[in-house]
Amino acid sequence: MVDQPLWEQIGFSFVQHYYKMFDSDRTQLGSIYIDQSCLTWEGQQFEGKRAIVEKLSSLPFAKIAHSITTQDHQPTPDYCILSMVIGQLKVDDDPIMGFHQSFILKNIQDAWVCTNDMFRLAIHNFV
Amino acid sequence: MSDGDYDYLIKFLALGDSGVGKTSFLYQYTDGKFNSKFITTVGIDFREKRVVYKSRDADGSSGRGQKIHMQLWDTAGQERFRSLTTAFFRDAMGFLLLFDLTNEQSFLNVRNWMSQLQIHAYCENPDIVLCGNKCDLSDQRAVREEEARELAEKYGVPYFETSAANGDNVNQAVDVLLDLIMKRMERCVDKSWIPDGTVRTNGPLHSDLSENSEGNKCAC
Repeated sequence: MVDQPLWEQIGFSFVQHYYKMFDSDRTQLGSIYIDQSCLTWEGQQFEGKRAIVEKLSSLPFAKIAHSITTQDHQPTPDYCILSMVIGQLKVDDDPIMGFHQSFILKNIQDAWVCTNDMFRLAIHNFV
Repeated sequence: MSDGDYDYLIKFLALGDSGVGKTSFLYQYTDGKFNSKFITTVGIDFREKRVVYKSRDADGSSGRGQKIHMQLWDTAGQERFRSLTTAFFRDAMGFLLLFDLTNEQSFLNVRNWMSQLQIHAYCENPDIVLCGNKCDLSDQRAVREEEARELAEKYGVPYFETSAANGDNVNQAVDVLLDLIMKRMERCVDKSWIPDGTVRTNGPLHSDLSENSEGNKCAC
């Protein structure tokens, strides 16, 4: 799409790239983070490329497939991109669950990296 | 069978680390025949089964059997992401706490599950049955029966070595849990302590639970 703003194109391709990698070989995700990156995974904090990859690699399932329902992207005043994703995922033979994920992308030395990543399953308490 | 045709509705929750066999265990208990209903937003899946409970009184007097409508709650696997919503601990009346006999870590984590239960269940000492699952894989066993029994004794809960694969002790474990709960209820003349919706006597089911129940078989 020609009339799509650049930040939206970048956000879109990042999201596509991220989940493709996550679903095929999540141990390779180190390439998108830097040592200052932060991940909040279901409320647990991880800092730095190494800790993040270790966490994602050690998740106890063999197969995962993400399906993106919607995504939104915004430019930030400091030339980063804020992305929010809503989707569904399926892990091994478990039932399908919803999830939310947000990213901040930053351009460092002509490459886009993810500095912030927050993930939550879309599960709501009930009483 | 009409949906309201039971004396008690009892909710059990299966807990334990990812991969210990909770889903297979419940599947085995319901003979693979269940109405599996997944509630996406809550992340639970539940199966239903009807049984007739006859109290085993010491004096030998046996009243009529009580019709129990059991709901066996299973997680949707969210514990793999570390996000078990503890809210549904509160609504469960009894707990099947499973670990994998071939996985020592899952046994070590039983302590964590116990403290979670003490915090989030409807009371500090809910009825729990501990199950060491996958006992059919004896060549891969990583947890000795004695140490599991010791732990169960420490917590004062029954222990079973079960196999969801071949059915060993699966019914027994659930029966003992049901028995504990029925005994607890008999002890309580005033049942006001029971969490809302956990046990309902002669009550109708939630409308969202009432469909597709014809497949339930009485297991008496």
